[in-house]
Amino acid sequence: MNQAADSLLAVRASGLMKRYGQVVAVDGLDLDIPSGQFFGLLGPNGSGKTSTIHMLATLIRPSGGSAKVAGHDVVRDAVKVRGEIGLVFQESALDRSLTVAENLRFAGLLHSLTPATIRERTAELLDLFGLADKTSRPVGSLSGGMRRALDIVRGMIHHPRILFLDEPTIGLDLPNRRSIWRFIDKLRARTGMTVLLTTHYLEEADSCDRIAFIKSGKLVQSGPPGQLVERLARYIVEIESRDIGALSQRLASKLGPYLKDGEVAQFRYSEEDVTPLAKLQGELGTQITALRWRRPNLNDVFLWIAEGKL
Amino acid sequence: MPWRPLYAVLEREVVRMFRQRTRLVAAMVRPLIWLFVIGAGFGAVLGRASGLSYQQFLVPGVLGMTMLFGAMLAALTVVYDKESGVMRMLIIAPFAHFWIVIGKMLAAALAAILQALLLLIVLALLGYLGGETHFGTLVIGLIATSLACAGIGMLVAAFTRTLDNFAAIMNFVIFPVFFLSGSLYPVNQLPALLRAVALSNPYTYGVDLLKHATLGVRTSGMGADFPLAMDLAILAGFTLAALMVASWRFSRESAYEPMIHILTGKRGS
Repeated sequence: MNQAADSLLAVRASGLMKRYGQVVAVDGLDLDIPSGQFFGLLGPNGSGKTSTIHMLATLIRPSGGSAKVAGHDVVRDAVKVRGEIGLVFQESALDRSLTVAENLRFAGLLHSLTPATIRERTAELLDLFGLADKTSRPVGSLSGGMRRALDIVRGMIHHPRILFLDEPTIGLDLPNRRSIWRFIDKLRARTGMTVLLTTHYLEEADSCDRIAFIKSGKLVQSGPPGQLVERLARYIVEIESRDIGALSQRLASKLGPYLKDGEVAQFRYSEEDVTPLAKLQGELGTQITALRWRRPNLNDVFLWIAEGKL
Repeated sequence: MPWRPLYAVLEREVVRMFRQRTRLVAAMVRPLIWLFVIGAGFGAVLGRASGLSYQQFLVPGVLGMTMLFGAMLAALTVVYDKESGVMRMLIIAPFAHFWIVIGKMLAAALAAILQALLLLIVLALLGYLGGETHFGTLVIGLIATSLACAGIGMLVAAFTRTLDNFAAIMNFVIFPVFFLSGSLYPVNQLPALLRAVALSNPYTYGVDLLKHATLGVRTSGMGADFPLAMDLAILAGFTLAALMVASWRFSRESAYEPMIHILTGKRGS
């Protein structure tokens, strides 16, 4: 790949690997993220999302492959990479014994900002995140949602070109999750920066430009969220029965592979015409307690990938 | 050289030190207890040697003690930072990771010097700083000793994963370093084995520098034990070595890997 193309890419990873002893956390991952994109990295627990982010953020060394972030190699030019990125970790990076302003001053000085610039951005960002009246409060006295918001402000204070958000809303309740997303949307609208997100809440990934599903450190699927959902199926057919084990095995010859959860089996259905489903319902009669179909969503894509059926 | 980040680390240390009042009060009370309780007790038994009371002999020792404890506690905030997550702010900042070690070491030394200065004011008010004090030597002694103590602290911090074993650090590092130095007795009058241990303790030479500043060299043997240049050379050498070992240790991922493992859900692997 030539230099010009590299500079348009915020992140370019090829064959990225991370091994911890015998465990392979990331297994030859290829990732291209254009500048300005809102990119979601999804996958089950332990699929290698955080290891990937930490390699891209130069905090751990790849065991193999290579990666460039903002055009700099993550191993050879680690310091330059760190100058271009912001990272919000899964867990807080704040000092609870300092106030909100003192934390941001500390973070800003660590990025060699002048005290005047720090004051300016502190006011601006706290205002944007609705924390303006908390400036001199000790961080220890803030609620979980406020601390998370402050942690994102902390990761933004130096105006990074690329922001890594590692499960930014983990452990937060719905109203707090929503407000964190409003902040992130505002930030993106204002700065046009690249955002790489990992999350477990798939509805949050709906607004991504592109998402990549990884499992066992390998890329399974990637594309715009709508396309991934379309690619999965036209409908998800859910069949409920007391004898779902035997029934779903029989139906598999007609409907293909299925996911089983308790007394419910899910099948993918790729035709727009659902009359065969209504017919099937009639045929099965009392063998089933319910048969319904609905449009798939990202959660379905996630489940089918997590179960290894895609 | 990242000046502002360095300043940030120092500023945070000072702010935290003055905010943790009990830590500061303890740093003042601990040496005074030694001076007045232990000093008076042993002083009554030992009497005066060539016009020097045992309490006066203890002054450089307790000054050194303040710096040893102050620097150790400040250096161990590295472990606190690893546990609490503040280290994340430092490792993601755009400078080489060995600067974190340099910054933390300077911050620990600064905390030690500030505490020693506070104690010096108290000692001066109580009349324990006589006219024979060499202030130039004292300044050098404070700087060199605080840096060496910070070095000991950084070595411990670089190899410590949690503050759970803080009591062990107290018992197996801080107390031996303090007792096996010339703080409480002249090194040259110790039995051979203890003397050998004291001679291999870098802190001994810090206390000796402070003896040069406050007691001078005395024919009674109650003053400084070694030449001033030797003290300085050993302290400088040790500080540099400690800085290099701690930086080497920290530049490996393993120094903050416990945290990375917590983040990636691979704790203990």
